[in-house]
Parts: sequence; structure tokens; C-alpha cells
Amino acid sequence: MPSNIPITPSTLSVKDLPWQIDWNKGKCTLCGQCTAVCPVQAIELGVFRKRCINLSPGFATPPENTMQLYYGIRQKTDTAYSCVGCAVCNLVCPNGAISPCRSDETDKLVFHRDRGGLPRSRGGRRNVPGTVLDQIKFIRISMLTDPALDAGRHEFEIRTLLGRVLPPEENLKFIRQNGWIPPVREIYPLMIGGMSFGALSPNMWEGIQLGVAYLNEELGMPVRVCTGEGGCPPRLLRSRFLKYVILQIASGYFGWDEIIHALPEMKEDPCAIEIKYGQGAKPGDGGLLMWYKVNRLIAAIRGVPAGVSLPSPPTHQTQYSIEESVAKMIQSMSMAWGFRVPVYPKISGTSTALAVLNNLTRNPFAGGLGIDGEDGGTGAAYNVSMNHMGYPIASNIRDAYLGLVTAGMQNEIPLIAGGGIGKSGNIAANAAALIMLGASGIQIGKYIMQAAAGCLGSETDRCNICNIGRCPKGITSQDPRLYRRLDPQQVAQRVVDVFLAFDMELKKIIAPLGRSTSLPIGMSDALGINDYHISKRLSINYVV
Amino acid sequence: MNDNAITISGKTDGNRLNSRILEERIQEAVASGYRHLTVQAFGQHGIGGRLWRAGNDPVHVKVEGHSGQRLGSLGFPNTEIEVDGPVSDDVGWLNAGARIVVHGHAGNGACNAMAQGKVFIEGNIGSRGMTMTKQNPRFAPPELWVLGSVGDYFGEFMAGGIAVICGVNPQDTDNILGHRPLVGMVGGKVFFRGPHRGFSQSDARILPIEPPDWEWLTLNLKLFLGGIGRPELLAELVNVDALAPTKWQLIVARTPKEKTARQRRSIMSFRADVWDKELGIGGLIGDLVSFDRSPVPLIPVGDLRRYVPMWENRKYKAPCEAQCPTGIPVHDRWHLVREGRMDEAVNLALSYTPFPATVCGYLCPNLCMQACTRQTEQMSPVDITHLGKASISASLPQLPEISGKWRGLPAPVTIGIIGAGPAGLSVAWRLRLKGHAVTVFDTAGAIGGKIASVIPGSRIPEAVIKTELERIQKVIPHIHLQQQLDRKDFERLQTDYDFLVIAVGAQKPRTLPVPGKELAMTALDFLKLSKAENILPGKRVVIIGAGNVGCDVATEARRLGADTITLIDVQEPASFGKERRDAEAAGAIFRWPCFTREITSEGVILSTGETIPADKVVISIGDAPDLDFLSGEVATNKGFVQVNAHYQTSIPTVFAIGDAVKPGLLTDAIGSGGKAASAILNIIEGQPLESDLRPMIEAKRVSLEYFDPRIAKFEDVDNCGSQCSSCGACRDCGICVVVCPQAAIRRLEIIPAGYEYRVDENLCIGCGFCAGACPCGVWNLVENRPME
Repeated sequence: MPSNIPITPSTLSVKDLPWQIDWNKGKCTLCGQCTAVCPVQAIELGVFRKRCINLSPGFATPPENTMQLYYGIRQKTDTAYSCVGCAVCNLVCPNGAISPCRSDETDKLVFHRDRGGLPRSRGGRRNVPGTVLDQIKFIRISMLTDPALDAGRHEFEIRTLLGRVLPPEENLKFIRQNGWIPPVREIYPLMIGGMSFGALSPNMWEGIQLGVAYLNEELGMPVRVCTGEGGCPPRLLRSRFLKYVILQIASGYFGWDEIIHALPEMKEDPCAIEIKYGQGAKPGDGGLLMWYKVNRLIAAIRGVPAGVSLPSPPTHQTQYSIEESVAKMIQSMSMAWGFRVPVYPKISGTSTALAVLNNLTRNPFAGGLGIDGEDGGTGAAYNVSMNHMGYPIASNIRDAYLGLVTAGMQNEIPLIAGGGIGKSGNIAANAAALIMLGASGIQIGKYIMQAAAGCLGSETDRCNICNIGRCPKGITSQDPRLYRRLDPQQVAQRVVDVFLAFDMELKKIIAPLGRSTSLPIGMSDALGINDYHISKRLSINYVV
Repeated sequence: MNDNAITISGKTDGNRLNSRILEERIQEAVASGYRHLTVQAFGQHGIGGRLWRAGNDPVHVKVEGHSGQRLGSLGFPNTEIEVDGPVSDDVGWLNAGARIVVHGHAGNGACNAMAQGKVFIEGNIGSRGMTMTKQNPRFAPPELWVLGSVGDYFGEFMAGGIAVICGVNPQDTDNILGHRPLVGMVGGKVFFRGPHRGFSQSDARILPIEPPDWEWLTLNLKLFLGGIGRPELLAELVNVDALAPTKWQLIVARTPKEKTARQRRSIMSFRADVWDKELGIGGLIGDLVSFDRSPVPLIPVGDLRRYVPMWENRKYKAPCEAQCPTGIPVHDRWHLVREGRMDEAVNLALSYTPFPATVCGYLCPNLCMQACTRQTEQMSPVDITHLGKASISASLPQLPEISGKWRGLPAPVTIGIIGAGPAGLSVAWRLRLKGHAVTVFDTAGAIGGKIASVIPGSRIPEAVIKTELERIQKVIPHIHLQQQLDRKDFERLQTDYDFLVIAVGAQKPRTLPVPGKELAMTALDFLKLSKAENILPGKRVVIIGAGNVGCDVATEARRLGADTITLIDVQEPASFGKERRDAEAAGAIFRWPCFTREITSEGVILSTGETIPADKVVISIGDAPDLDFLSGEVATNKGFVQVNAHYQTSIPTVFAIGDAVKPGLLTDAIGSGGKAASAILNIIEGQPLESDLRPMIEAKRVSLEYFDPRIAKFEDVDNCGSQCSSCGACRDCGICVVVCPQAAIRRLEIIPAGYEYRVDENLCIGCGFCAGACPCGVWNLVENRPME
């Protein structure tokens, strides 16, 4: 790139970019690893000219110019190739000679990411560090009252219920009248939320499923995983592992004909059916799997021809109200498995969540309500949807729970909370806070990508290129050259580690409450926060 | 009864003493020298502990009645306690040495946190016995002996000491160790005899009982059974039949190292033996894909590279070549110069133009230099005029015989060319070099068109033009001058020749539709007359039209004595380069926008009413071709011949080039001749009409850093050659071979003459260093083909 060029309004310098490559000439061995590995080709070999002016004291020799040349790593300034800060260059550099550094001020690129009038879209997360959940403390430490339990010594059986839990007398009445009661699953309260086969690479997806199967079959932890909207591999549908799986149906209905065709051959019922109406990370925004990512494998699983773009619209075309949804989808999905499988809708966090919930309380087919808060992650969405839209999960789940309490129906419709749980690493604390605010179950997605696969995303706009299929860790790419970097076995091992560690941490939180078998759902007297307004809003203790 | 014996009742006057008072009385008794105490207990707590006031004297405490909790707690080594019946919770709590014998069951928490001493239980104990026990290395380990069984959560966090559970009349005959024993055990030993339902495998493990352990056990069993008064059980308890269901077993704590190695199935084994077994070979999607999904490193080679280098030699045109209308590969000439093949560098131009010296060396604005990549960094462009001027001595290539035999034809292909200007001579030259029969016609008395007739002498030495025209005449013998053609002639030529090329130029000056236009002179006429030294323009000259031809007029007018020269134009003058500079040096005034209303003998009257006085008014607003001789079949548009990209007219065998098609530079005319020649050659050879559509290389691919930016002027041809970056064409410098970190690039000689640089896929990592380092921009890093 010539240094002296006619500039355009969008001509940026390295200094203007969000990430600046710090390259150390003295350490660099010019091995080419960094440029070979960079996912966005932000760096290249540069030829540098160095002018030396040779002077001698007293003008003993005439002054002269000499030119020297050297090679080095040059950062591109073309916005299409701007460094995303993933630091894989640093990972591969044998000499520690290169690393991206964050700009010391708001970058200028942010003002130019709308080329052609197309606003920025990206993968990742909301890029707002911290969450109110991180501030919540567990203040009920019952040494000698509840009585206290020892997380390391006492036996715990941490379980939650998924499915419509009718009061005993109603259950009896129900079964007398209908010969049937709503199905309920006893499962682990931490679930892996819907991340589609397509959004995730095959190796990542298999790694998660393998880890979940291991947790169930080797460790006796009934962990469940949602497929997300992208179908489910035919083999999994026909295996016993299906019982660990929550099948998701969403507005694109991808892969559902394959699921329907597999019905006669299923050895096990799936754990549940999740009907996705919204995603916390991008409420009101749909999804689009670009044609170039729809390879033969994705196409086979989604039941579409290869090489076509696959839109998941923001809405289900035939449903514009929760009444319609309940009538059409929840009941139909229940019928598919002979009313043996819980069916629940999942919505993005919203100020209208209570309207949905109220309707569900009147329908015995509704097996729960998933609410996905604004801090969730996604493979691809408009920046504005991700950064500025959505509802925080804490108050949304609290309102929903207290709404059920008012109706005298708490814990009858399990609330499943998602969206940014563990975004600062405090997964058990965040999950426990939500449980005590009223959630029966917790869904995580992004956390699994980070903890089980080493996703490089941060809450400060690092990497975030899930949407372009160039994930340097092979988590969100359909390119075998990238996803083969990820070993499903190692992902599975990490999934297992995450759940075991979570389990221990959750025990540490609930043991002092004297809880070892029943989750402290809605036990908000155990929660405190040192922010008066938040304490009022969430109806929890104000502690200072 | 000894003198130092005393009985202390837990009741006074029928009232039960509280534990504090009983403790005071026991301590008082010990302090007073009593060493045999009989305590009648009524549920008081902590009896028998802390009897340190006796010093080293043994103190015997016999408890009758009902002991309360924590019997013997904080017990001292001097103390022996014996209880007639069962005891409540926490017997021996924090025991620091007391020997406690219980003739009955004990409640929960027996021996919790015991560090020394022995506790004998002639029965079962409740839950959480032997928890948090320690062994202080200064003392012997604490011991708990239980004749029967232990309750749930036995031995939690046991960190030392020895527990022996004999399993005689246990509470639960199926499980003498209770539920979840030994969680968190880190030290000590547990001997037991009887069935159990498991213990914390992660903390403890079964060890075979070695002879020293057995010896210790049998010896101490005697003491225990003696202590509780059941010696008759010894024979049964030391039965060593290894097959007996009641054989003794030993549990010890795992070492910290053993604990970290958890006994769990590996994921690998789970995947192979459970996952793949249920799903089928290849796991989750083994039925859908057959390709390898095994892990790869971050920096792979071969097919796994995301990007691959391509040696795109000559895939793109160099800017000089691309911008030269004549299409001369200028960078190739410099390449020949660098190789010391000066003659070839000079001669190469003759394949493209008959005027390499006249045009490249003098008359061309040198679009090649304007486009030179070096200009993108304000570096002086490689100066082609050096090579252009040197071309005056270029030697003619061997001319092929004029014949059709080259193409297997009975007779030579004939081409008639109307016009012996730069365009016509160019097409004639190119076709003649290929052995075709060309015949050129012109109305003038000499060849060369405008080059010969109107270019001012100041622009180029006469000798240069003369030399090149003579060279042309050697190559093209059939030139018919002073040939005025009419329509009939044109039709005749069409039948006489296989191809016709119209290269008549623009000889008809355009004029202005204003009153008095006849008083003005056209630039073409002016320049022809001035060149012939046949005009005196007077002192004041106004030139209408301030383009480059107007500038030539101004310069000539000055030479011929004019002192006030004004060039007017309706817009900002388009003139540039040497012509403009010369005109400015001649003192010409440029004025715009000026609209001519009328030309009078006084001068030029503008639309504003202003009169610019003039002795001579010259109109220089361009020329148009004179196409009266054309048959109507040849389509024209706005006075010019209409052609396609190959300069083919509406009649496929008739071509039109040069200013007859579109006014342009000399090099445009020459270039159009070259392109028409190529098209004609293609038709002759039965090839489709093709032109070189290669795009121009992007300047950013070229690395100018290799060159010294301080060179302002090129001294000579060699100097030029060394500073040419050879855009898009490999200069064979070998930098890529050297710079490749994987040594994956090698140079390959191609027989007969040539080379290429080739990449070894199995070494290359796709770093793009070759592309980054290539001075010419030949190497490119492209995305590897998609892999599914």
C-alpha cells in the first residue's frame, strides 16, 4: 500500500483501527506463521525501506545517503482486513514477537462499518462487560439454622423439573378426566441452550453432544442440550442419546421434515421441544445462513439443497399471537410424541413477557417458558440489535416469577433463564442468582463456546467474526480447514469439566442454605445487593 | 475401696446437679487427691474430661447411670473412664489421651476430632463417628474400637488414627460401615470385618492386611475385648479364613497423588465404546460425510492451507504496457536492458510501431510514464524517451517474403491502406512484418501524414522523422502518393484487395459558425505553412481553441515574429505537457471562458462585446476526417467512421483507424493500426477476433520500497532499467525463493528457453511472504479451493 495516497473519507490509519498490531522487529524470525494463521488477513509481509544518512565529524568524508531494506509484518488498514484482535498471531509466534493491542481511544473504524449503506453485522456478544447478576450476593449463610450443609461432604442431587407441574389435586383430577397428565422431566438445572448445527461447526456440535452423553451415562448428571434451529443429525435422532436432547423448532423450520421422518425409528423420546420465538442477543432480528456456508453436510441435516441462503425470519409467518402459538404449535408438537414430551416456547427477554406467561398458565400443554435475556450471544446479527435491543434477564425472570406467585402458580410453569449467564466467568453465581430470583433452569451457550472450545470473544469486541465463518478456533466455521482445529473429544472433556465444576460451585452456594435436593427456586431472601434501586426492582435484600 | 476413692453423685437432695456443678465437684475431688472416682450420672455432659490436676497420676472414673453428651471430652492421657451402659453423643470429643470404655452403644459423633487416646465401645455407634480425627506425630494415634457397627457418614475428614469395627451384632447386618463412609478421609486406617455398601472411593481404598498390621490387630483385639470384658470373642474375631464373609479388611486414605488420578472412563474410550457404538462408525455424522475430521494443527501444509500462493506471471498488464495505446510492453524492454541485451530492447519496439524514435522519443506525451507505478509514490517514472531516442538506430528484423504460402494460400493476402499517416503506416508495417502484401495510398506528396507535415520543427529534429520514414519505405515498397480517391475508386479497391483499411486521418479542419469565419485560418493550414516557412502571422495573433494544437500554433507564431499571442477557449484549456509549456514560454496568454461572436479585420469580438485585436486569427478547434470517398455501406457517426473494438467497420473486410475514427494522439493512431492488423491477422488465420483483455496490475501489488525514491532524473538507459519494477512480469530476482520461510519455492528451468517459479505444496504454509516480498507483484495469495 503506497504511503502517499489520495485519501477517502474512510481512509484510516493503523492508529484509527480498534486493534493495532504490535510487531517486534528484533524478536521476529520471519517464519510466516502469523500471516498464515490470521483469520482475516490483517497482516502481511511488508518491504520496508530505511534511509541512512552517513555523516562524518568535521566533514572528513562527504555526506551521503544509503538505502537499506528489511522485511517485517505490516498491518493492513483497508477496513475489510482490519485486525479483530483475536491474537492467534500471538498464539503461533515462536518468538512472542507479535500481538494485537487495543486502541487507546474509540476507534474510527466504528464510523465506517456501513459501506454500501449496510450497517455492521457481526457475531459474538453485546460487548458490555459485567451484569447485574455479578453484583448479587448470596447473603443467607445458615451455619446453624437451616441447617447448613457441606458442599464437599454432603450428598446433593441437584435437579429441576421441566414440564408442566400441576398441583397434586389437579393432577388427580386431570388424570381422571383425561387419562393423561402433562409430562415432566427431572433434569439438571444447567442446560446447554440452542446453538444450531450450522452456526456451530460439526466438530463443536459433536463435542458438545458427546460431553452431554458422557455426563449422563458416566456421571449420572441429567444434563440436556438444545439443538438450536438447524435440524438434528439423523443418527442422533435414531439413537438413545436423543433423550438428552431438546429439539428446537423455529421460524425457519429447518430439518423438521427429517425429524418427522425419523419419528417411527426413534428409540427414545427427546427430552423436550423448544419453540423458539426470539433470541435474547438479537431480539426481533432473524437469522441468515449465507449460501456459501450451506455445504452438503449442513444441507443434508437441514433438509435443503446445498448452496442456497437459509433465512430464519424474525417471526413465524402464521403466528402473530401467543394464543395462536399455543393453539398451533405447542399442541401439535405434543401430538407428535403422543403427549409424552414437554413442549415450551422460548422468547427473547421483553417487556411483554408476562403477557406470554399469563397465556401459558391457562394451557396445560405449556411445559415451561424460556426467556433469553439481552446478554446472550449469537452467530450473526446486526450490531444495533445486539448492542441496543433486548431486556436484561434478571428483572424479566423476576417479574415472570412474581407474576406466577401472584397467580399462585410458582414452579408450576418452569421458567428457563438464558442470556449472558457467566459472561464474566461467574457461571454458578449467575445461575444461582437467577434460580433464587425464580428460574427453574438455566441455559448457557456462549459460556460453553468459551469454556469448552476456547472462543476468543470477549465483552470488548474481540474477534466476533462468527458470522463470516472464519472462527480461528473452528467453533463457528463450516470450513474443515478451520473446524478440524477443534477435537470433539477435547470439547467433550471440557463440557464435562464445566459441568462438574459448576456443580461444585452451585453446591457451595446452596449448601449454606441447607438445600441439597430441592433447588432454592425463588428463594429471594437469600439474595442481596448493594444497590438500593436494583434491590427494590428485584424485590431482594438491600445490603451494604 | 482405696483411700483416694470417692463417689460423686449427680444429685443433691434429690435434685439433679447441672453439668457445671458436677464438673466443679469432680475437679475438686481430683484436686483434693482422689484418684478413683465413681460418678453417678444423671445425663450430665462432659464427664471425665480435663482431669489435668492429677498431674501424671492415673485417674479412674467409673460412670454409673446415664452419661450425657461429650463423655471424656478434652480427655487427658492420665484418665481412664468406664461407663456401665450406653453413652450419648460425642463421646471422646477432642479426646487428647483418655481411655474410655463404654459398655453399650454410643450415640452420634463418637470420637469427633479425637487426637489421642482410646475409645472402646461394646456395641454400635451412631452417625459421624471418628470424624475429623487427627494424629499428632508427637503421640500415638487415637483409636476407636467398636464391637458392632458404625452409623452413617463414618470417618468424614478422618485425618489420622485407627478405627476398628468388629461387626459383632451390627445394627444393619448388610452394612456395618453405614451410608457414605470416609468422605474426605486423608489419613489413618480403618479395620473392619463384615459387609459394607461402599465408601468414598475417591478418598480411600482397600489395602491388603500385611503381617505387621495383622499382628497389631490381633494383639490389640485382646486388649479391647479384655477392656470391654468380652475375651471369649477373640477366637471368633481372629479367624483368618480368607474366604469367610467376615474376614478383616483394611481401608486407608488415598495419598494426594492417588486422589488426583480419578477413576473415570476416558472420553476417548467413551467415544469409541459407547458413542460410536450407538451411532455407528464416524459418530454423529459418519453417515453423511466421508472426509477426515481429525484434528489438524494451526499451520498446516498442502491441501489444508487456507490460502495458497500463485505465481501470476504476466497475468496482468504492466501499467506502462496497459496505458500505451500502441501496446508496447515497455517493462520488457527494460528487462532486456537489465540483461544487457540493449539491441533487443531497442529493436523490440519495431514489432509494435514504425515510429519508436519519433513518437516514443519525442512526440508522445508518454502515457507509459504517466501510468508508471512509480508515480503512485511521487517517484520519477522510468524515462522511456531514452530508449525511444535510441530507437533511431534500431535494426530492422528479417522481413519475411511476401507470400501466402505461410498460411497455405495460393497467393499473398492483399491489404489496401488508404492514408500514409501514422495509423496507416502502422497497420501496413505490422502486416508487412507478417509477410502480407500491403499497398498504401495517400493524397499527399510524401508519407508520414501529420508527423511529416504539421509537427513543428521545435518538437523533433527533422532527421529523426526522415530516418524513420526512410526505414518505413524500405519495409513498405508499395506506397502510392498523390492519389485522390472517389467513391468509385473506393469500390474498386474493395474488390482489388482482400482487406481495406481507412486511415485518412482528420484533414478537414473544423471551423466556427460565426460571421467573419472566412477571415480566420485553420490551425492545420497555419502549421503546414509555418512548417514550410511560408507565412508571417503579424504581431498580434488570436488562437481560438487552446488545446495542444493551438499551443503548437502559438509557439510557431512566436517563432515567426508574433509578440501578443492569445489563446481563447470556451472552457479551461485541455492543453498539457510540452506543447502547453512551450506555448507559455512563448508568452501566450490563455483566456477562458470566451465565446466568439464575430471575427473581423480588427480581431475577435467576444460575446461580451470585447474585441481582442488580432492581425491573424487561427481557429484550432479540431479536425474532422474527409470521408466523401466512402461508399454508403461504411457506417459513419458524426463525421467519423464507425468501428467495433477491433476497428472493423460495418463491412467486415474494411477497417478504419486513427483520427478517421476518433481524434487522438499519434500513439492512439499507431495503436489502432496495430489492433486492426491483429484483427486482420486473426481473420486470415481463421482465429476469433481477440484482443488482449488482461487487466492492468494493481499498483499496491508492486513493492516500490526496493527502489531509491531520491532518483529525480535518469541518467541513462541502464539506470532506467535498474529502476523499473517490472510490474506484473517476473524479473527473475529470486527474492521469493530466499524469503520463503519454508524453502518451498524453487526456480524451474523450462526448456527451451524460460523458467517458472513453483511452490512445493507439502512445504508451503500459505503465509504469503512471497506475495509480500515480490517486487513485481507477480505472486498472489489466493483462497484455497473450498473443501467439504
